[in-house]
Amino acid sequence: MALTPRAARSQTKARVVVIGGGVGGATVAKYLAMMAGTIEVTLVEPKPRYTTCFFSSLYLAGMRSFESLTHGYEVLAQRYGINVLHDSATAIDPVAKTVALKSGAKLPYDRLVLAPGIAFRFGAIEGYDEAATQIMPHAWIAGPQTELLRRQLESMEDGGVFLIVAPPNPFRCPPGPYERASLVAYYFKQFKPRTKILILDAKDSFFEQDLFQDAWARHYPGMIEWLPAQFTGGIKAVDVKDLSVKTAGDTFKAAVVNCIPPQMAGELAQQAGLADQSGWCPIEPTTFESKLQPGIHVVGDATSGGDMPKSAFLANSQAKACAFAIATALTGSERFAPHLFNTCFTFLAADDAVSDAITLEPEAGTIKISEILISQVGESVETRRQVVQQANGWYDAFTHDVFG
Amino acid sequence: MAISPFVLFVHQSAAAENNQGAQLAAMCASCHRLDGRDQGIPSIVGLDQQKFTGLMEAFRSGKRSSQIMNVVARSLSAEEIAALAAYLAVRPRGSKQP
Repeated sequence: MALTPRAARSQTKARVVVIGGGVGGATVAKYLAMMAGTIEVTLVEPKPRYTTCFFSSLYLAGMRSFESLTHGYEVLAQRYGINVLHDSATAIDPVAKTVALKSGAKLPYDRLVLAPGIAFRFGAIEGYDEAATQIMPHAWIAGPQTELLRRQLESMEDGGVFLIVAPPNPFRCPPGPYERASLVAYYFKQFKPRTKILILDAKDSFFEQDLFQDAWARHYPGMIEWLPAQFTGGIKAVDVKDLSVKTAGDTFKAAVVNCIPPQMAGELAQQAGLADQSGWCPIEPTTFESKLQPGIHVVGDATSGGDMPKSAFLANSQAKACAFAIATALTGSERFAPHLFNTCFTFLAADDAVSDAITLEPEAGTIKISEILISQVGESVETRRQVVQQANGWYDAFTHDVFG
Repeated sequence: MAISPFVLFVHQSAAAENNQGAQLAAMCASCHRLDGRDQGIPSIVGLDQQKFTGLMEAFRSGKRSSQIMNVVARSLSAEEIAALAAYLAVRPRGSKQP
């Protein structure tokens, strides 16, 4: 049920609560506070600082500091007047329109936005549970997991095997596991040149496969081996005691295992009935209002809709469309056609990066790609260097757009 | 807790800027800082309207080649490009937001 502008004005101020301070949540909060000054915005996020998963493989490779990936909420609170609460949401009451917090507080809302990110399907790979992440880190939600994986890489002896388990579709950051393999190879090439990287994939192909395989042959010949599911029969189990991964027909032992498991929408989305049988949250394509719970919006990796990849860039783009739709619903501000856009900058080596550019449009209740351009195999060294420059400039501008 | 005059100022000026140009410029802000700073991605604020429109037309036709900007420009109508040009032209470099 949409709240009419008249109803919103009869209160002192319309209230929007945003749960989750990652890229999607922080962007919704910032754009609502900045462009609809009559809305009171509260952002609920347990962690004091956010570490970006994008660019975290540069940290693994020793090309960026951990600190450079970390962003605080001070500017959102001070410059934009967002009420930032470092607390956790424990329950949503969509009838009373309140959110219960771990601290015991209850927040009333006119509109609620969830940006819950991803959760892992523990148990989908036998033996890979919460405890196993401390031995075989996923490092797919950045933070202590990323630091743990870096320490494991540093303590590896030359000549061992670094094993990556790559997840089935859909998952956060389609080029991510293969960018990680590239950058870890870049680190090994300098410091542990006899080391091998083995990727056991749940899929038979992956995004930008030709670009990656070309780069692996040029930069790291013989170092990276990729085994598709049709070859191994799929990933069945892990054993944290002897650091091994079992497929249908084989057991692979490694010195370090980076297990990126199958994924679904974050836990609160599951609890609140926002996810369907796929495990992801279906949304209205122009407002990002849940198709299952009216009045509650969902943005970011947790959403499902047509051709949308799960990326921080698209979460930011979705969040703006969502913020403008909420502003219109609550204040009657004018709404213009939303534009959804995605770019992924992907590093293949320190001086070799590629990108893609995708525009998406609402179509027949879902979201479809209207145009896509991707870097090509055979581009000049100079072109690839320019993408590296752009990528670094993008990180600065993008994190400023979200947190600055 | 006292609310600083600066916070009030941001809210008032921001609320006035929720127009078509501002909503479209939000898309640009994912890559281009709108405070005029740039590190590897060119600044687009304070550009002459005709110059901006000409650049976007060149990106749209492919006369000027840039993977990302070719796709972005082709997703915008002439009316949207005009709204963006007007919005960006009057934005000062060194402004505090977004």
